[in-house]
Amino acid sequence: MNHMKVKLLIAGLLVGVALTYLAYAGVQKGWVYYLQVDQFTQDTQYHSQRVRLCGKVGTENVVAQPAQLTATFSLMGDSSQVPVVYRGVIPDLFKPGCEVVVEGQLDEQGVFQSNVLMTKCASKYSGDHIERLENKS
Amino acid sequence: MIEPIGTYSLSLAVVAAAGGVLAAIMAFRFDSHAALVWARRLMLAGAGLTTLACGALMAAIINDHFEFTYVANYSERALPIGYKIAAFWAGQAGSLLLWAWILAAMTAVLIHNQKGSDPISRSGGKMGSDPFCFRERAITLAVMGGVNAFFAALILFAANPFITQPLPGTGTAVDGHGLNPMLQDPGMIAHPPTLFIGYAGFTVPFAMLIGALAAGRKDDAWILATRKWLLFAWLFLSVGIVLGAQWAYIELGWGGYWAWDPVENASLLPWLTGTALLHSIMVQQYRKSFRVWNATLIAGTFLLCIFGTYLTRSGVIQSVHTFPESPIGRFFLAFMGVCLVGTVILIVARRPYRLSDTALEIGFNREGAFLATNILLVLMTATVLVGTIYPLISVFFTGQPVSVGPPFYNKVVLPMALALLALMAMGPALTYGPSDAKRLFMRLRLPLAGATAATGVAWVMGLREPWSLAVTAITVLGIVNVFNDMLVTWWKIMRATKANPVSAMTRMIDDNHRRYGGQLVHLGMMMLMVGVAGSSLFNEKTTVQLKPGESTAFAGYTMTLEKLGEERRGNYTAVQATVHLAGKDGVTNTLLPEVRYYDKTEQPNSQVALEMGWKRDLYVTLAGWESPENGGTVALQAIINPLVSWIWIGGIVLTVGTIFAMTPKLLQQHPQPQTIPASQTEFATGK
Repeated sequence: MNHMKVKLLIAGLLVGVALTYLAYAGVQKGWVYYLQVDQFTQDTQYHSQRVRLCGKVGTENVVAQPAQLTATFSLMGDSSQVPVVYRGVIPDLFKPGCEVVVEGQLDEQGVFQSNVLMTKCASKYSGDHIERLENKS
Repeated sequence: MIEPIGTYSLSLAVVAAAGGVLAAIMAFRFDSHAALVWARRLMLAGAGLTTLACGALMAAIINDHFEFTYVANYSERALPIGYKIAAFWAGQAGSLLLWAWILAAMTAVLIHNQKGSDPISRSGGKMGSDPFCFRERAITLAVMGGVNAFFAALILFAANPFITQPLPGTGTAVDGHGLNPMLQDPGMIAHPPTLFIGYAGFTVPFAMLIGALAAGRKDDAWILATRKWLLFAWLFLSVGIVLGAQWAYIELGWGGYWAWDPVENASLLPWLTGTALLHSIMVQQYRKSFRVWNATLIAGTFLLCIFGTYLTRSGVIQSVHTFPESPIGRFFLAFMGVCLVGTVILIVARRPYRLSDTALEIGFNREGAFLATNILLVLMTATVLVGTIYPLISVFFTGQPVSVGPPFYNKVVLPMALALLALMAMGPALTYGPSDAKRLFMRLRLPLAGATAATGVAWVMGLREPWSLAVTAITVLGIVNVFNDMLVTWWKIMRATKANPVSAMTRMIDDNHRRYGGQLVHLGMMMLMVGVAGSSLFNEKTTVQLKPGESTAFAGYTMTLEKLGEERRGNYTAVQATVHLAGKDGVTNTLLPEVRYYDKTEQPNSQVALEMGWKRDLYVTLAGWESPENGGTVALQAIINPLVSWIWIGGIVLTVGTIFAMTPKLLQQHPQPQTIPASQTEFATGK
């Protein structure tokens, strides 16, 4: 191996080590478990860390107070549900029955305290509701 | 009438493209000129038929044919004509049709280009002097035809926009759902087609690569032919990404322009590898090296474009704005698999690259910088790719999908972007040939001095944040370097040619579009990075609750809520807050954030009030309100985004630079030879 290749190899190794460290640090700081409501309620190891939960907003007892920047609702899974208190700007697409992703942590009272709420209503891109075809006006 | 036109022309387009592929393969196999001519005819017919299908869908949308499910889902009678056109690509089926049409149009342009310089057609139907060229063209066409056929078939069988449904009534009693209010924005008209032109544009270099590989080409001429397609595709992809970021900024109301969402990442991935390609093909062209690397990058970029379309359209990854899960995923996976395996087999087994690369000296020279640029860009691609599909990967290891958030990307990608910016800043001082650190340092003396001085001034003025100091230093280094290099060259030309300053400058720039266009692109990228750094490091955000008449102080402004009102306009009702703004410098302004309730959708739509400036933007949204009986509190979200305008300015500079790099020399290089009197000509030629 000539001098040149040795230098390149060392430079490459240094870059590799630096990047691995960055990736490790980034993952430590940036990763969040992405869970369905049922997975979350069954497995207590997730109850003491920040997670991202995906589920449907329950149709009952939804209290959205945009002016107070809070929303209280139940996040529904197939067989279980989690009470959620969200503080922040309520997205336009938030409504009962809507599919949402919330990020946050469970508190001592068993309420999921969240400060990130993303709505993902599939219906905004595709809707086949024929009844809506009728002109209401 | 429209339904049969659409369906039949799509079906025939599949047949024509597939027939074209067969004919092109025959042309390759038997060196048959007639077969190549037929391949071209069939593919042009396919392009025509795809155009017809697009015309049918457009006619259906514009003429309110709500018996088409697609039209009913994305359009309505009251929609302005501009948004009716945009409704064409608002849904999955239509946007795939647009992709297919752009690809078909590019195939037609490619055929036109091939014909213009055909070695065969000039030699009267024979093969011509260059069998490589002939076979290469045949396979290039076959690949284009194959991709065309795939998209047309995909639309026909899995995402057909021409599916009809019985209507519940007749006449004007029937109306469509209308376009999603978030898509009723001028940015949304331009963003998807621009991205698709970029995506489809990267198909042509891929087809040329497969052609060159299959024909067993050993020279580097073909890589030159890919350059203009690469630049063209790269430009549209870049503009598409910036337009998308601007749309997100203005329309989504969360104050940002990039969220590392899978859909955004999908467009960034081929952009990163495409950027690497634009640099590494220069090494192949000038230094006869990086051959296998370039082949891999071209194929990788194309596959990432297809992957991006797949990711966006199939719903395989949970994202805030993907389309719902759909059957097209399997088609895409199969197609990507075939392309990947085929390309790998061709690169490995056929070995047209048996010619070894010229040995390069890698170090403090241009070759070294290009290599480093490529490594960084590919590492960034790998990072973003892994982060994007991490929910899929992690299921195998932990049994749970784990998603990585923006901190991961910011921590890993941004340092690499900064290193890339430093290489860009050194650009003009780097030369091909032997590595010479001392010479490079001498050429960088003045820019380095400038960067040190500027960083010192920034420090004295109170800037302490390390990333922002680094961006300042690198940006100033780059700007001084570009202008220093220009002035030195200009001075040399003036001394050597005794030309006047203006003509020396114009000639210098016009003689080297690639160099100065490229530097303009680099300056644009630096502006963009300054905007990203400023807005992400120093943004301030607050949510306030005010009653009419109350004031609050925020980031040097006094914000007073004057009133909250309701107003009926066109097809929506708006609730609007009037916010009076007073700056420290005595400047006042009124901002009107509002929430719109469109007649056709249940969801409200926030409209941001934006005070734009080259130093900072003030971004106000109306988050919520109570009726006067309940207290009348109004919640506002206010965000200060420093330097964000430089992202859009950088995008414009980048566009101008790329266009300049693509245009041929504008001025005659040498003065016209003086007219020689006829008598002298006769004398000179001995008549």
